[in-house]
Amino acid sequence: MSSIRARLAMIVLLVVTGMAWFGQASIRTYEDYDRAQGQIGDVLELRAQVLFLDATSYSPKLAGRLKEKRKELGRDPRANLLSDIIQAYNEKDPKALRRRVLAFVDSERRTLNDALLRQREAERKLKQNAAVTALLPLVGLFMLWLTVRASVFRGIDRLSRRMMDFLVDRYSFQFSEPESNELGQLQRTFNSLAQRVINNMDELKSLDQAKSDFLSITSHELRTPMTSIKGSLSLLTSGVMGRLEPQAEKLLKIAESETDRLIRLINDLLDLAKIEAGKLPLKGDWVNWDEMMHKTAQSLVGLANAAKVRIAVQPRPGLEVYMDRDRMQQILTNLVSNSIKFSPEDGTVSVFASKTRNGEMLVQVQDQGIGIAPEDQELIFQKFRQSSSPESPIVKGTGLGLTIARALVEEHGGTIGVHSEKGKGATFYFTLPKWRDQTGHSPDADDVPAERGRGAA
Amino acid sequence: MKILLAEDDPNVSVITQLCLEKIGGHAVTVASDGAQALDAALKDGFDLIILDGMMPKLAGLEVARELQSRGVTSTPIIFLSAKSEEKDIKQFLALGAGFIGKPFDPQAICGRIDEILREKGLAAS
Ligand SMILES: Nc1ncnc2c1ncn2[C@@H]1O[C@H](COP(=O)(O)OP(=O)(O)OP(=O)(O)O)[C@@H](O)[C@H]1O
Ligand SMILES: [Mg+2]
Repeated sequence: MSSIRARLAMIVLLVVTGMAWFGQASIRTYEDYDRAQGQIGDVLELRAQVLFLDATSYSPKLAGRLKEKRKELGRDPRANLLSDIIQAYNEKDPKALRRRVLAFVDSERRTLNDALLRQREAERKLKQNAAVTALLPLVGLFMLWLTVRASVFRGIDRLSRRMMDFLVDRYSFQFSEPESNELGQLQRTFNSLAQRVINNMDELKSLDQAKSDFLSITSHELRTPMTSIKGSLSLLTSGVMGRLEPQAEKLLKIAESETDRLIRLINDLLDLAKIEAGKLPLKGDWVNWDEMMHKTAQSLVGLANAAKVRIAVQPRPGLEVYMDRDRMQQILTNLVSNSIKFSPEDGTVSVFASKTRNGEMLVQVQDQGIGIAPEDQELIFQKFRQSSSPESPIVKGTGLGLTIARALVEEHGGTIGVHSEKGKGATFYFTLPKWRDQTGHSPDADDVPAERGRGAA
Repeated sequence: MKILLAEDDPNVSVITQLCLEKIGGHAVTVASDGAQALDAALKDGFDLIILDGMMPKLAGLEVARELQSRGVTSTPIIFLSAKSEEKDIKQFLALGAGFIGKPFDPQAICGRIDEILREKGLAAS
């Protein structure tokens, strides 16, 4: 029997049949009992009648009743004895009556004993049947439990273990042969579900691969011609190829700066695509903060000078931060160049690094520019989004800088944000969790008196 | 400085050569694919080899590996690549080579080359 349902039904059927059979047997036994009981009554009644017969005062009524009794007994051997008694009674012979009555009572004792024995036997059987009938459902329940445990619970355990296996490692998942019962049906369903998941995963994987290939090819195909264009223009404008007409030089300068913009855009778009594809692994390293910051500031001096803005970097000697150097420069370049873009002439863009209360490094880029309205402060971190306030000047840019900066900061394990009031400048900040101080000085001893900095001279 | 430049894109090749010659004042030999580059590098001594990452016949990475396996280990190598995938860059750096991403600034490339050579402890001319 394979189906669990059928097995359970079989057990129930057995129990019910057993109970019915024993019930039937009990009824029959009870009839036996009843019959014996009746016989005992009869015997006792007849004996009483016979014992009280008095030959001296003949009663035709009594004689009639005895005759009737005699007829009832029919061919019973006791009938002859009774006939003898009736005869003696009719003959009014006390002596014969006495003798025959004694003989009758003697024979009746045996009949009585017999009936009593049969009654007792029936009683015993009844008790036995009652016990068996009471035990049967218990046995049935026990068998049900065993069956349920063996096929249902164990099966469920096995199946859930397989499901866990699937969750842990889809690829080495072995499809086992399903059993031929209801749980097997469940397993078949699960197997086809799992198969579908695996197929989908494979499909996703190949889509993912296609995306990677696309990124890599696009990157190559866009950057190669840009290299030629940028190189040609730079060589021409730098003057190493000979002097140019001032007007031609002006045109070439325009082409060059637009090319730079295009290159920045391509790089940003490719970065964004990588971020969205989750393919932006960092090359982590311990990097001297001041040295990295100095280089970054240096690369922005041209932009700052053009905007007549000063860059002030607060030095942090001895501070080392765990970072991807190029990506960190990218983050800072984005923030500082934004600040420069939105600063007034003669403004200052300041960069600080300090320690927060929960032990992280806090980097701040502060400007005195136009600031950002509260409703724009979250929005500007979204891709292609720029301040929407009508009074914000239209500045060339694509709105990708902060999106990329946020992704890169988060990839470093930090968070990024901005404090600003409209018209009162903006302070962009981000945190970096992994840093150390090579000189033993806390980077911000005055800010956090406890913990570090105690050993400082 | 004697430089071997391997670059399959003819335009990029011409421009890079001009940059190195006009701005850096280097002597440049040009190869247009990986196999040529390997031949030239094995035949002549160079102070520096610049390899494009993606070239027909023999990719830059393979040229570098081949050179190393043939004992040409003292010549510094710098990769130029338009693919800025981290895993490529990691492979370049693992070979002890330098890396410059395309598109590069011709004004800056000579400076970058000196910088990379300095980082590797090999003083530039
Ligand atoms: N320091 C700042 N002061 C005022 N507004 C700012 C500042 N930094 C960013 N913003 C606002 O946030 C917007 C988004 O900045 P984000 O750097 O993402 O893009 P972008 O600078 O416009 O373009 P991209 O950086 O891609 O060239 C900016 O356009 C500007 O409206
Ligand atoms: Mg920006």
